[in-house]
Amino acid sequence: MQRRQKSILQNIANRLDIPQDIVLDLPRITMLGNKQLLIENHKGIIEYTSSLVRVKLNQGELFIHGHNLLLGNLQTEQILIEGTIVEVKYDT
Amino acid sequence: MTPKIRKYINGSVKICIRGAMPEKFINLCVAERILLWGLSKDNDDLYAWIGLNDFYHIRPLVRKSCTKVTVKAYRGWPFLAKRILRRKMLVLGAMMCLITVQIFASYIWFVDVVGTKATSPLRITEVAQQYGLKPGVLKDNIQSKTIENAILLAIPEVSWVSVNFTGTRVVIEVVEKTFPKQEDKAPAHIVADRDGIIMEIIALAGQPAVKKGDTVRKGDILIKGFAPTVPPAMPGQNASIITPPQLVKASGIVKARVWYESYGESTLQQLVTQRTGRQEMELLLHLGGHEVALKRAPQPPYELYESEIIHKTLPQWRNSQFSVESTIRVYYELQSSSHEISAEQARDEATARALQAVQQSIPENAQILARNIEILKLNEPNLVRIKVGVETVEDIGTSLMISQ
Repeated sequence: MQRRQKSILQNIANRLDIPQDIVLDLPRITMLGNKQLLIENHKGIIEYTSSLVRVKLNQGELFIHGHNLLLGNLQTEQILIEGTIVEVKYDT
Repeated sequence: MTPKIRKYINGSVKICIRGAMPEKFINLCVAERILLWGLSKDNDDLYAWIGLNDFYHIRPLVRKSCTKVTVKAYRGWPFLAKRILRRKMLVLGAMMCLITVQIFASYIWFVDVVGTKATSPLRITEVAQQYGLKPGVLKDNIQSKTIENAILLAIPEVSWVSVNFTGTRVVIEVVEKTFPKQEDKAPAHIVADRDGIIMEIIALAGQPAVKKGDTVRKGDILIKGFAPTVPPAMPGQNASIITPPQLVKASGIVKARVWYESYGESTLQQLVTQRTGRQEMELLLHLGGHEVALKRAPQPPYELYESEIIHKTLPQWRNSQFSVESTIRVYYELQSSSHEISAEQARDEATARALQAVQQSIPENAQILARNIEILKLNEPNLVRIKVGVETVEDIGTSLMISQ
């Protein structure tokens, strides 16, 4: 039922040229080289060490591997991860 | 206002979160809309920056997440203000300093006069002083407009004046009037100021006394200061009336050929002295009437030397009663070496010397016609003697007052 609703919404969004992240409540992930990673619309942090950050998303989890990882800015809507990012992995 | 400035004004605290699940604390903060930044992890400790306002509200969150929070560092205006308030005397001193500077800056310390040429700056400062502009008065009491007007009225040579304040200095800028040159109207002859042969004579006023080709000596009258005789209107009346000649100031151009001669010599063997770089210093201290030698040099310091004396005295105001002076005498060792130059070089040098000598006596506006250089042949192997003759055409007339 939910899945069907989602596909309908996606269809409408496609036709009306509305960005999908707003309609579908998806996270928007912006990367600046391998130095910065901005995650908008997240659901909280699961784990944080200097080599791994796990972020909870609407659908599953995001793994970020790297060195000297810092959380630059932590707000309800967004997380800014700074440091040297090696790998970004999606786990649904 | 940028976030950084806002953070500084509000103050921020670096906290260390210790516990089983520091992430839980972070998520709780995020849920409560508490801003955290600069998070870093060192082993099991999580460090984070938090605003000072939010710091007072995290106690329930800490309880809920079963963590321990300790303050590690703080920065921002609230903490600085606290520290300043603890040191009241420092603040008082800083304020006193500012106030003193402000007070001293509101007085005039110096008065400068700029742009005077003929009038003395003292006259201008005197007038300014009468209207209250002098070192040591308050700046606010000075009305520069009235002082400007007063200076203009008091000193007629001044055509424009401005009184400007630059800090504690007052600059009185002055532009003087330029008066047309007063021409001397007294009757005068034109006489020769050096010997020569007249090439050209044009009398603009007065009667020419010599003609082209004449040889004149220094002091001879060239143009007489008499009005030119008017040819009589009627030939018949000629002999009867003899009027005394009317005196005028003669003027005109008298060009003449003038010869100059000079002599220069140069030897082939030349003695050159040079400083070797070695030096001795002597230091004397004068205390009142006594003289104390702090450092002496052996006398004589070198076989061949030149010396330089440096006097050092204290400023006048410190030297009023008891005079303290020091004298430094520096001896430089010299080395002389003779060095031979070719006959050609010696000749050039001698010529240069001779020309230099003659150049001084030739006026600037003279036109040089010829220059002949003659080597005097005398039986001296080591000496070159040069005679230089210069022939010029120049105006040789100068005014000479007719004494009455």
